[in-house]
Amino acid sequence: MLSISKDFAPPFKMIEPFFLIGSIFYFLGILFLFFLNPQSGYLDFNIVGWAHWFMLGFVMMIIFGAMAQLVPVVLEVGHFSVDMYYVIWPSLLLGTLLMMLGFLWSPAVLPYGGMLVLISMLVFLVETFMTLKKAERVTLTVKSVLFSNVFLTIAIVIGFLMSLALSGGIYLDLSLWLGVHVVLVLGGYVTLTIIGLSMILIPMFGLSHGFDETAVKRSFDLMVGGVSLYLFSAIVGWSFLRYLALVAMYVSVGFYIFQIWIIYETRARKAHDIYAKSMYVGFGSLSVSTVLGIVTLFSESEQIVLAAAWFLIMGFITFLINGHLYKIIPFLVWFERYSPLVGKEKVPMLHDMLPDKKSKYQFWFSAIGMTIAGIGLLVGNNTMFYGGVSFFTVGAGFMLSSVWFMLSFGKELKNKE
Amino acid sequence: MCNIEKEQVFLATSTVMDPEVGFNLFEMGLIYDAIIDDECNIKVIMTLSTRACPLHQMITQWVKEAVEKIKGVGKVEVEVVWEPEWNISMAHEHVKDMLAGVLPPTS
Repeated sequence: MLSISKDFAPPFKMIEPFFLIGSIFYFLGILFLFFLNPQSGYLDFNIVGWAHWFMLGFVMMIIFGAMAQLVPVVLEVGHFSVDMYYVIWPSLLLGTLLMMLGFLWSPAVLPYGGMLVLISMLVFLVETFMTLKKAERVTLTVKSVLFSNVFLTIAIVIGFLMSLALSGGIYLDLSLWLGVHVVLVLGGYVTLTIIGLSMILIPMFGLSHGFDETAVKRSFDLMVGGVSLYLFSAIVGWSFLRYLALVAMYVSVGFYIFQIWIIYETRARKAHDIYAKSMYVGFGSLSVSTVLGIVTLFSESEQIVLAAAWFLIMGFITFLINGHLYKIIPFLVWFERYSPLVGKEKVPMLHDMLPDKKSKYQFWFSAIGMTIAGIGLLVGNNTMFYGGVSFFTVGAGFMLSSVWFMLSFGKELKNKE
Repeated sequence: MCNIEKEQVFLATSTVMDPEVGFNLFEMGLIYDAIIDDECNIKVIMTLSTRACPLHQMITQWVKEAVEKIKGVGKVEVEVVWEPEWNISMAHEHVKDMLAGVLPPTS
């Protein structure tokens, strides 16, 4: 029999700030979209600043918090030192706020914010790599955690160098290295992490068993190869390799979507709950984003680039994260407040801890808003974009409220002790 | 000679719920066997629906405590195995139907 983790659930008080802060950044991030002009282009400082607010304050904050719980689950070993997570969220929070200050008002502040973000990520990386060393079974998920964290290390070093260049400290070809930074973060870290984790989580929640994993193995190899090739092309200055790298990444995503379809077809649990619906929108958006991405190989249109990025970040990544919050938060709260009561009194099931109406409103407002705003970006219609953002903002408000509801569930039990 | 029957052990394990899916372990088909010796020492052989189950240790502890409530029981041991790997065909029919949406979920 293989060994199983002794520390599957880290202390709730350690993870709670990640989810609360991440949800606040998410709500404000959607609200801030009203103050952006999509026609400004992706090199505009306001848009770059917003992207960092959303990616660091929401995406990374939630991923890091989730990893505190998920790393032992997927690696089947305990954390090297879970207490290191107490350092991560304060430095990531302060660093992100300083970086926003730098992007919007004072570029000289950027390296200070960048340094704090760098520290938070290095702490995360050291903890993750040390935990990886303990892993006994080298599964595809273990490999994805390893490679994604290597890419993240390179991405944050490049990001820090770019912040020095922006403040005038060093010279760097910013447009070239911005592309590498984005590919390393979105493809190398976020997508690779999602590919690896979803091979554990999606079958676990859908009760899928005995499916073929060839497609995801191809997807993994192609994504690692594509991201590495993109980095190499920037170092040696061979721009034609970049196209080859992008093609490899798009084919990788195609294999990944096919794998998800196989898992979906073999699932025993067919309920169309808030989790399943969020996955449908997430993977649908990934498909749209991939098609648009392939079109950008033949077209110079900045609208298509923005729309592809929108469906990737606001459709795929956002809906996958939010959908999983409806699974992860109730579990952590249940584990903290109700597991000691099992066998002594009636305890709720995890689905009883979901805010039914709020989560439905969150889903529909967000899905409609995300789609309308994405189409607005694609056709270059700002009115349509802001109309979609209006719906999305209401949805984000319900998401924040849902997260608060789940985090507070059964709090009176703890206060009674 | 021990008078405890396997069915009593299975009944005891049916009081342990999986909070994620909302069914008890026995009807999920996660309890494979119960070995009872002459001194009423019991070894429960079970599995989990996934190797990555974050409640692994708690669930085995709950099974142990549930079986220890049987009158006259000796030592209780719980062994988690991964062969044969669990799949939905091992669950009871009403569980399959509820998960598939054929029957309405019960709270």
